[in-house]
Amino acid sequence: MTTVPHHILRFRALTVRYGPTTALENLTLDIPCGSSTAILGPNGAGKSTLLRAILGWQALAGGEIRLGDTHPQHALPRLAYLPQRQAVDWDFPITVRGVVEQGRYPALKLCSRLSAADHARVDRALEELGLTELAERQIRMLSGGQQQRVFLARALAQGADIFLLDEPFAGLDLFACEELTHILRAWETQGRTVLAAVHDLELARRTFTHGVLLDTTLVAAGPINEVLTPANIDRAFRHGHCVHEHPLHPAHHTHGEPTE
Amino acid sequence: MSLHDFLVAPFAYEFMQRGLLSAAVLSLSGGLLGCILVLRRLALMGDALSHSLLPGIALAWLLFGPSTTALFVGALVAGLLTALGSALLSRLTRVKEDAAFGSMFIVFFGAGVALVSKLPTRLNLTHFLFGNVLGVSASDVRLAAVVSGVTVLIFAVFYRAILLETFDPVFHRAIGGRGGLVHFGFLALTVLNLVAALQTMGIVLALGLFLLPAVSAYLWCDHFFRMLLLSVAIALVSSVAGILVSYHAGLASGAAIVLCLGVVFVGSALFSPNYGALYRFRQYLRERRGVRNSPN
Repeated sequence: MTTVPHHILRFRALTVRYGPTTALENLTLDIPCGSSTAILGPNGAGKSTLLRAILGWQALAGGEIRLGDTHPQHALPRLAYLPQRQAVDWDFPITVRGVVEQGRYPALKLCSRLSAADHARVDRALEELGLTELAERQIRMLSGGQQQRVFLARALAQGADIFLLDEPFAGLDLFACEELTHILRAWETQGRTVLAAVHDLELARRTFTHGVLLDTTLVAAGPINEVLTPANIDRAFRHGHCVHEHPLHPAHHTHGEPTE
Repeated sequence: MSLHDFLVAPFAYEFMQRGLLSAAVLSLSGGLLGCILVLRRLALMGDALSHSLLPGIALAWLLFGPSTTALFVGALVAGLLTALGSALLSRLTRVKEDAAFGSMFIVFFGAGVALVSKLPTRLNLTHFLFGNVLGVSASDVRLAAVVSGVTVLIFAVFYRAILLETFDPVFHRAIGGRGGLVHFGFLALTVLNLVAALQTMGIVLALGLFLLPAVSAYLWCDHFFRMLLLSVAIALVSSVAGILVSYHAGLASGAAIVLCLGVVFVGSALFSPNYGALYRFRQYLRERRGVRNSPN
C-alpha cells in the first residue's frame, strides 16, 4: 500500500509515564490514515493513553507523535474524539440537534451565530446517521445505539477525518453493536480514519481492518488477522497474568525483561 | 388594602427602591450562574463557598468598619482562599475534592463565627447572615449592578464555551478549549455574585437566589438556552414578590425571597409535565395497571 506521508500517523519512541508507572514504553508505530484500526490489549496496556497522547492531553516522557509532517496539536480540527458513554450526563437539557451543532462550534468566532452552511452540515450529519426524525428529542429519550450515533454525528459535523473512539462498544446491546460496526465499516470505505480502543477481540476482528496490540510496549501491529494470532494474544495478555501471580513484584514483570 | 397599597406604595421609600433594584439586578446573574451550578452538580459546593465568606467579612468589619469595599474585598479573599485551598488540598493529598471543600469551608465558617462573637456590634452582622433591605446602600446597588452586568456579559460572549464546558468538558478540551480557565472564571464569578448579594440576601441565603430558580427551570426545559431564560425570569419574579412580602410581613428580605422561590420550586417538582413527581407517579400507576390487565 502506498501512503502519502501527509496521511500517516507516526509514533516514534513514544513513552508516557504516570508518576512511577509506565503507561506506554518506547512505542514506534505507523498508522495509515484511511483505514480503521483497533487498539487492543489488556487493562492498563495503554489503549486510552495512546488516544489521549494523540490529542496532546498527555505529557510525553519521550518520543514524538506526528500527523503527516505536523504535530497533531496543529491539526485539531481534523481530529474528533468520542467520549465514553458513561461520561455523558444524559439528563442535560439539550436536544439531539443541540449536541450535533456543537460540532460546528470550533469553526465559529466569538459571538457569531451558526451560518446557513453550518446548519446544512448539521442536517447532513443528522441525515447520514439516521437521526433526522429524532433531532428535537432530548438525549435521554433515545436508545443506547441512538445515543452513540448522536456523538458520531457531532464528530461528522465537525468535519473531522480522523475519529478517536474510546471504548465505543461498551454498554451497547447486540443490535446496537452491529449497527455501529456497519457505520464504522462504511466510514472506512469513504476514506475516513477510525482509531478505537476496543476490549472485545472478536468484535475488533469483525469491525476493523487493522489492529495495534499493546501491553505498554508494542506487541504487534498491522492487518487485524495478522495481529490477532494466538501467539500474539498470548504474549500481550500473559503479562497481565504475571501481575496477579507475583503481587510483590508487579513492576518487574510489566516492564519487560530486567536490565541488570 | 388596595392593590396600589400592596404593590406600589412600598416603593415610595428609597430603601425599598434600592432593595428592589439590587434584588432584581442580582436575579439576572444569579439565575444564570445557578443553572451551571445545578448542571455541573456543584450545588453543595456553592453552599460551602457562601459559608466560607464569613471570616473575610468579619475581619474586614473588625479592621475597617462597615465599608462596602472592605467587606467586598474581605469576602472575595476568603472565598478565593477556600476555592484555591481545597483545590490544592485535593491535588497534594489523598483527600478528594468534595471532602477537601467540606473541611475547608467548615474551618472558615468556624473562624468567622469566632470573629463575629468578638466584634463590638453584633446586631449588624446578623444582617449579613440573613439579609436586610434596610441596609442596602447606594454603593451596594452600584456594586450589584456592576457584578451582574459583568456576569451577563461574560455569559453572552462565552455562551458556547460555557455550554461545552458544562455539558462535555472532554470534548471542549479536545477542540482546544480552555476548560481550566472557564472553570476558574466560573468560581470567581460565583464568589463575586455571592458577595454582591450579601446585603439583600445574607450569606446563608444568597445561594437560594442562584440555586432555586435554576432547579425549578431544570424541571421544565429541554433546551439549555431556554433553561437560562426561565431561570432568570423565575428569579426576577420571585425576588420582587419576596421584597414585597418582606415589607408587608416584616420578614428578613433574604428569607422572604427564598420562601417565594421555594414555592416555585416545590410547585415545579410536583407539577412539571415531564419531570415532576406527580407525572412520574401517574405513569407508574398506569404501568402497574397495564401489567395487571395484561393477558398473563
